[in-house]
Amino acid sequence: MEETKRPLLLRLVEDYWGILLLLIAWQAWVVINRFNPIVMPTPTAVLHDLVSHPGVYLDNVAITLAIAVFGLVMGMLVGTGLAVAAWFSPIASGLLNPLTVLFSSVPVVALIPVIARLLGYDTSTVLAIVVIITFFPSFVFASSGLRQPPPGSEDLFRVLGSSRLDLLRRLALPAAMPNLAIAFKLASAHAILAAMVAEFLMGTTGLGYLFAKTKSDFQTEQAFGASLVATVISAAAFLAAGWVEKKVRERYS
Amino acid sequence: MRQTFLGVFGIVLFLALWEVVGRTQVLGISWPPLSDVLDMLAAPDRRALFQRALGATLESTALGYLWGASAGLILAAVAHLLPALRRGSDRLAAVLNSVPSIALGPIFLVLLTRESTPAAVSSIHVFFIVFVSVSSGLQRATPAHRDLFAVLGADRLKRFGRLEMPAALPSLVSGLRLAWPAALIGAIIGEWFGAPRGIGILIINAMQNFQIVLLWCAVLLAVGASLFFYGLLTLLERAAYARFG
Repeated sequence: MEETKRPLLLRLVEDYWGILLLLIAWQAWVVINRFNPIVMPTPTAVLHDLVSHPGVYLDNVAITLAIAVFGLVMGMLVGTGLAVAAWFSPIASGLLNPLTVLFSSVPVVALIPVIARLLGYDTSTVLAIVVIITFFPSFVFASSGLRQPPPGSEDLFRVLGSSRLDLLRRLALPAAMPNLAIAFKLASAHAILAAMVAEFLMGTTGLGYLFAKTKSDFQTEQAFGASLVATVISAAAFLAAGWVEKKVRERYS
Repeated sequence: MRQTFLGVFGIVLFLALWEVVGRTQVLGISWPPLSDVLDMLAAPDRRALFQRALGATLESTALGYLWGASAGLILAAVAHLLPALRRGSDRLAAVLNSVPSIALGPIFLVLLTRESTPAAVSSIHVFFIVFVSVSSGLQRATPAHRDLFAVLGADRLKRFGRLEMPAALPSLVSGLRLAWPAALIGAIIGEWFGAPRGIGILIINAMQNFQIVLLWCAVLLAVGASLFFYGLLTLLERAAYARFG
């Protein structure tokens, strides 16, 4: 493998030059302008805070991560479930399709205050928001995937006398898997960020709340620490979901 | 035909349901009837407020859209022409996209001004989507075409300008379409960090002051601005696919 032959340093620079450049520019910018740490801390100060107060971060990460994961799973289940229901009934899919296309191009962040007003300002509302935000991509992608089995395969199933349920289980659902994987990739990166915006607005718990609270208490290092942690988790989720998508695509198409 | 009818019927049903839920107040006072919201949207004494807010947000969104799309296009093109930079730029884009928007606000507030923070946050959202779609579009030219260009003696830049860029156009336009709602979200979040006016400010103020109908008006304005330009870009996308797809 060529991967392992490249020297480690070269590999690091090749893969991470952009991120390294960004961090160096940040450090230099703060040092040169002599910003007060309340206004803008250096990346090293943020890192220092991360290492010296791991407890605060861990507690809030656990909450936000749990909400994001649980909401993502629920949203995908509800989205896929509704897509399957719509697959069974052409009338339901005709009624629902344009609505969901409409909703999926709506700026969801604008809906967060409305949902918060409707459901109250607590953690279950944050969960509901994550479910709603991950629901749309899964419904849209699952519906279109269920409708795109390989040409002719549906006729074969019919000729062999399989029931509608068999058709769903053995043909339509496997055919929809690559699409569902795309929905999963899109939704997983958004789940954490959506949870954070909701926590930030409602001031309940979690990383978004930690950010809002420390920001207004002028503990800027901790606010940036919370953002840094969220960035790393969300980027990791995006990469992991990309890997899952690739595996699913190889397996099902 | 039947599908169109069902679709329109579905939307009408949704709007009617909204009105009924609002009138009967099953979900409490936080869900006003659609007619109340539309009444306020059309009220002459509110028009100036809505126009100012919508104008400010659209201006930030358009600016951020332009910056982000240019940056995404340029970085994707550079990474395509200099493969050594490719892996690093992929990771940079993924990380930039993972920074929570609420953290971008304070950073740009220090880096720029209060007025340009919404556009800057919005540009980061757009940058990622355009970068990803252009990067994948630039690889769509078939090997046969590449060989033909090589045989005819085209250099790297000519091949890029005459073959790979045109092949990437449909992806670019799809990216531009998907980027619009994201740009709008960026501008709205950016406005929460001290912008003088905008839809985002309207939403936050209405939320904190329990002005329920006003809140829904602001949300409807945001949705309308999103759908209108999203629709326009969808038409552009169809044209691009018909010509270059």
